[in-house]
Amino acid sequence: MITKLDPGKIAQLLTQSTRQMDAGALSALIDARQNALKRQSVRSPVFALAPASAHTSARWTDRLMPHSAQPWIAAGLLAAILVAGTSFWHHAQEQQISELDVAILTGDLPIEVFVD
Amino acid sequence: MRGFVIAVFLLLLCLTSTGAGAQSWRALTPAQREALAPLVQEWDTLPELQRQRLLGTAKHYSQMTPEQKQRYNSRLEKWSRLTPEQRKAARKKYRAFNKLPEKERERIKQMLKEEQARKEEQARKAQQPASGVSAAPVTNQQ
Repeated sequence: MITKLDPGKIAQLLTQSTRQMDAGALSALIDARQNALKRQSVRSPVFALAPASAHTSARWTDRLMPHSAQPWIAAGLLAAILVAGTSFWHHAQEQQISELDVAILTGDLPIEVFVD
Repeated sequence: MRGFVIAVFLLLLCLTSTGAGAQSWRALTPAQREALAPLVQEWDTLPELQRQRLLGTAKHYSQMTPEQKQRYNSRLEKWSRLTPEQRKAARKKYRAFNKLPEKERERIKQMLKEEQARKEEQARKAQQPASGVSAAPVTNQQ
């Protein structure tokens, strides 16, 4: 028969158990935990949508979209930002050029003045 | 990380390749055709970027005064025959000219007008003896 365990109760039991442990085992566990955390922080991806330490926020992003799709979504967002920025800059440049061309083509000085 | 870079590159490729191409003469609106009428013969042979830029200038055509329209129409053909480098240099010169103080610009304009008038006068004088020579045989024949 499988009994349903309350996660809160499990945590409480574990806390009680750690209090009963001897100092040597406890310090060894603390060291192991610190080492594991250090390794985890090194391995955390640079372009992760959610920070590695924020377990709660990581959970909702995992639920919202599959973990494998996250780099593609991040890549899509970055690509969209790059394209939007480039096209805005290009549009502004072209508008400036067409205004200059109109000024040269309609100005009171002949274009020969500006052409070598 | 490598997969991420490839994904960004592929998406950029897809997004940038969807840009609209330049229009052919037949696809132009009546207003665009009116503005770009001097280029009717060569329009479809012009490079895409040049066509896009000319369409950019044609947008302003309806707001031009009759005098500006006349200048635009008379200069358009020559302008489109310049090389991209020449047009770039012309824009640079125009920008530099516009940065000059108003007095200086007026002085240059006056100087250019005088030079133009002098050239026209020289051309007129050069034509006069030639027409006199051509008229002489006609009078002799009579």
